[in-house]
Amino acid sequence: MLLALQLLCDGVLLGGTYVLIAQSLNLIFGVMGVVNLAHGSFIVLAGLFTVWFAAHAAINPLLAIPIAFVVLFGVGALLQPVLLEPLMGLGAQQAELLSLMLTFGLDYVLIELGLQVFGSSYVSLPYLQSTWSVAGLTISKSLLVGSAFAAALALLLSFWLNHTGFGKTLLAASQSEVGAVSIGINVRLVRLVAFAIGVGLAGAAGVLLILVEPMAAETADDFTILGFVLIALGGLGDYRGVAIASVLLGIAQSAVGFAIGGDAESVLPFVLLILFMALWPQRFRRAA
Amino acid sequence: MAKPEIAAEGRQQARTRLPGLWQALPWAVIVAAFIAVPAAGSAYAVQLATDILVASALAYGWNLISGFTGYLSFGQVAFYGIGAYATALLVSNTPVPWYAAVCIGGLLATLLAVILGPILLRVRGILFALGMLGLGRILMVLFSDWDYAGGGNGMTLQAVLDPTAIYIGAGLLAAASFAINLWFARSGFGLDAMGIREDEAAAAAVGVPTTRVKVIAFALSAVLAGLAGGLVAWNRSYIDPPSMFDPTIDLQTVVFVLFGGMGTVWGPFIGALILTIAGEQLLVALPNLELALYGLLVIVIVRALPGGLVSLANRWGWLMRPIVLAPRQLPAGEPPPPRAAPGRLGSAEPPAPVLAVDGLGVRFGGLVAVDGVSFAIAPGETIAIIGANGAGKTTLFNAITGFVPASGGEIRLHGRPVTRLPSHRRAQLGMARTFQIPRLMRPMTVWENVLAAARHGGQAHRAVAHAVWVVRTVGLAEMWLVPVGRLTPGQQRLLEFARVLALNPDLVLLDEVMAGMTKDEQEDVRAVIRRLGGYGVGAVAMVEHVIPAIADLADRMVVLDFGRKIAEDTPDRVLHDPEVIRAYLGEPPP
Amino acid sequence: MRPITIAPALRRMAAAALPALVALLAGTTFAPAAAPPIVIGGTVSQTGAFAEDADFQVKGMQLAIAEANAHGGWLGRKLEFKVYDDKSNAGTAVRLYTRLITEDHVDLLVGPYSSGITQAVAPLINKYKMATVEPGASMPGIYVKGNEWNFQGTASSLTYLDELLPIAKKGGAKTVAVLALKSAFTLACSQARIDQAKQLGMKVVYQSSYSLPSPDFAAIGLAIKSAHPDVVIGCTYFPDAVGIAKALHDQGFAPKYFGETVGTVEPAFGTALGSLANGIVGNTSWWPNFKTANSPAIVARYKAMFHTEPDYHAITGYASIQVLGAAVQGAKSLDQAKLRNWLLHHTVPTVLGTYKSDPNGLSTGFGQYLVQWQGGALKLITPAKFAQAKLLVPYPGK
Repeated sequence: MLLALQLLCDGVLLGGTYVLIAQSLNLIFGVMGVVNLAHGSFIVLAGLFTVWFAAHAAINPLLAIPIAFVVLFGVGALLQPVLLEPLMGLGAQQAELLSLMLTFGLDYVLIELGLQVFGSSYVSLPYLQSTWSVAGLTISKSLLVGSAFAAALALLLSFWLNHTGFGKTLLAASQSEVGAVSIGINVRLVRLVAFAIGVGLAGAAGVLLILVEPMAAETADDFTILGFVLIALGGLGDYRGVAIASVLLGIAQSAVGFAIGGDAESVLPFVLLILFMALWPQRFRRAA
Repeated sequence: MAKPEIAAEGRQQARTRLPGLWQALPWAVIVAAFIAVPAAGSAYAVQLATDILVASALAYGWNLISGFTGYLSFGQVAFYGIGAYATALLVSNTPVPWYAAVCIGGLLATLLAVILGPILLRVRGILFALGMLGLGRILMVLFSDWDYAGGGNGMTLQAVLDPTAIYIGAGLLAAASFAINLWFARSGFGLDAMGIREDEAAAAAVGVPTTRVKVIAFALSAVLAGLAGGLVAWNRSYIDPPSMFDPTIDLQTVVFVLFGGMGTVWGPFIGALILTIAGEQLLVALPNLELALYGLLVIVIVRALPGGLVSLANRWGWLMRPIVLAPRQLPAGEPPPPRAAPGRLGSAEPPAPVLAVDGLGVRFGGLVAVDGVSFAIAPGETIAIIGANGAGKTTLFNAITGFVPASGGEIRLHGRPVTRLPSHRRAQLGMARTFQIPRLMRPMTVWENVLAAARHGGQAHRAVAHAVWVVRTVGLAEMWLVPVGRLTPGQQRLLEFARVLALNPDLVLLDEVMAGMTKDEQEDVRAVIRRLGGYGVGAVAMVEHVIPAIADLADRMVVLDFGRKIAEDTPDRVLHDPEVIRAYLGEPPP
Repeated sequence: MRPITIAPALRRMAAAALPALVALLAGTTFAPAAAPPIVIGGTVSQTGAFAEDADFQVKGMQLAIAEANAHGGWLGRKLEFKVYDDKSNAGTAVRLYTRLITEDHVDLLVGPYSSGITQAVAPLINKYKMATVEPGASMPGIYVKGNEWNFQGTASSLTYLDELLPIAKKGGAKTVAVLALKSAFTLACSQARIDQAKQLGMKVVYQSSYSLPSPDFAAIGLAIKSAHPDVVIGCTYFPDAVGIAKALHDQGFAPKYFGETVGTVEPAFGTALGSLANGIVGNTSWWPNFKTANSPAIVARYKAMFHTEPDYHAITGYASIQVLGAAVQGAKSLDQAKLRNWLLHHTVPTVLGTYKSDPNGLSTGFGQYLVQWQGGALKLITPAKFAQAKLLVPYPGK
């Protein structure tokens, strides 16, 4: 019983770290329709930067969150008009295909950049290395902090989308571009900001993830894949669905990892994806 | 900025062709080079050439499912790895010779594709790509756990040193993969695949059996990848899961095809040839930047040259895409008359209505879009379905044609229940429709758009002759080789009618064909609709907003309001029905 | 005249090292080289997963070759080193070794880095009958009948952490958990430790293997905690070595003895884990204070040439060239069959210890010794005569 609770607790915390990966990508893919295959490289670049930052600045690595967010927001704001905006208005299918290809190329460039600047080795950051014992459960402080911050930022994003003027504008623009233009929304600006915020939040996610697990430039694509699988399972542009999928996947992985092993745990997202395709194809058809 | 037409240009073609001698030249060069490598080159040159040939086979395989059919696969390594492991296990444990083992590996990869295709090919875009990527990962883990196949340690084959035999094998494989791609580019089957790529629903609407076409394309792409994997396993004599299910093999394949030209016959080979050799030089000159340069190359190609190198060659008239099954000239003279309706169903008894809808319902989650609607269309009849915005008119059409599933009720075509049939089957049985916004294969020619439908109109053996008749009849003969993207909106509407006629339908469903048209254009369309009966069309149903334009065409009108039928009568009486007027409040009838 | 020829990206390093080379050359007199140079070929993972460790290995080889040239080369001929980047990819390595053998016609080969890549090129080396010393492959499975042209130039992975279990048993440990990354070398290592535990009469209460990247080790950590072993042995590379240590800690479990193979000796291991590293046992086949054949002088020259400290990969690379040189000079020939025969039947004192081969090319001379993180630094625990500290028991885990 206690073991089950411990697994549940580990799973929820793991899922918490997933939420921000998925939601930042959801803003870009689910809402704006851009297939950002370079998402994981933004996450990893931020993580690698955090290790460098913590080593050189010798201050709390959580301070790297705003820095990573602002820097990557800027990067996103520079890249979107040059690379992605020209693809908009080509029709959803064409835009998805071409954005997929473009960000696929961008991914390579960014990973190489990471390799050149930070080296190819795995890095990790010793931060808050102690545990709490609560009613027989052991909770890692770094995992708790990483997970809680990630979940909080994801919540903030969803609040911003649903309860602020600009956020609502963004949602409106994603639902009907023509409609948005007709009521005077600057759709180009909205897309730029959405992409930049998505990339900026990927940066924040990178900072939080490096507190929890080792990272290397070459692991970038695993984060991208995880993000897309979560969006697929949770529902395109569906914030609540994706949050639930993140936590459920975390719990499922935790249980499978314990019962079967690390490999089964790491392919579980894909197994679920294919199972969902086989059993509930309608769910995906709406998204496609 | 890239416009859709530019992407289309890459696949575009002109009728002008190079003289025969020029066409033979690349072949002569390729064959000479193929012979020269083992004759004059070192073992390294043979190895490099083998790698190029294997890479082209992988690229051609990817081109089938992704370039021609439009489903981006990031998991061809799943088939590659299966081929490799099957070969390794057979060679190590049985007396099967290596080339037979490689072929069996290819077949096993195909089997996997046929089993999983119907599941994975349900969703398109990133989700299909992810599913394939996942398949590769799952297989990698399974193989690393399978001790009989060496597990994580991999397998070492006791191979003999015979690079020339492997080279010839790779050459045969590359030639076969080229031939299959050529067949895709020139055959009716390939046209079906390209129709799916451009617009899957529209392809189904003209009778393309989408699932079957996709699975066949998938299986062919799998057999090429599987054979490539088997050859590599024999060539290397050592395989392990990380190197056989390595996702960068897929990334490389994608880059090769993009660079050469997606959905083209020569692109994959050109990409594999140039980039493998260039990669070899980069390896020596700039070892650290190879990946970044690949990445930049992809960005530049997508932004500046979406059709790849082949589209560049096209500008000088080289490597043109052949137009599918096009005669040298559009034949003149009287075409054969269309088959008389309703012969296809073989129902001898005449009184059955062409279409009978009984208690049809459609639900989206909790929303009832169509609620127990019943009506019938007798032979020779034209009916109009009207209603305010959101009344469920288009949804009703979508349910009748099978684009959305019915949640209740029954649909009969000539008395035959079709409620459970997929939309392409309904199209093949004689149910043709148009869309509110024309859904055509934009980069392809008028001819190919018509032919794609004609192939599924129950007359496959004389599809070309029928397509010729349709093109002449609707008056598009002048522009039969013009790509759709260059037609005026009115011409595109006409082409939609042409596709409907090409299907040789008993029942035609027209979805707001006159929306946004000028009075003159409306008159043209009305003339076409009046003639439909003369072309063998048994009955017509129209959804329309522009009521004056159809009031005199329709024998009866069905009025929908919030998904329910509220009236059905002659146009005159319906338009004076108080309930109908009430339903149209804010949008008063004339 | 160029003393060495290397792939262009390495040229920068060589340029940086030029002053050191000049100094070396200046101190020696040598006859004008009449014969063409002896070309030694190999690949190194300059990019990809193994780049870090492979870089040390190739630098060690470069140093050994530069030194040999400073002493007049072998058989009166200068040496030339031809290295390509295999990108940590087995397929690329196969193609490049084919190129080295059939296009570049190198006289001698050295092995690449990592067991996996070595295993991929081993059949090729066998096909072309090139007697090759391989510093990067600790996996014993390569050195079997049918691969008779491959010679292991490093300690076999059977020896990784082989001293830990007997020590633990003496300390009263009864139960063992063994984890392994799914790679050729780590799986061989874990099998060896499981067999050893059974021989010693200890009980293996948990065993598991995983692939990289594993999203988190929390579940494995919890499973280990539930099994409650006295000893945890991880047959790891760097990222999973760190991940497992963190996961055990996150689950609030500290085994009495905790050893992990590769990764522990890298300085980054300490940076990544901070205080958590203290008490973790690793292994190395060489330590700077070893008094093996000239070790301190080689370390000094390595630092002069590359401006970094060598690690055991560098020393292993250096030793491979020493072995190859001894074979060439001993057999007085570049004939591959003669070299192979020599390598099978002779021992060579090297900086890494004594090279010795079994009839299949498996190294039996080199050993692995224990190190442990103590107070934020690595301390040598065995062999006793060079030990810098006593083994810290139990593992504190905080």
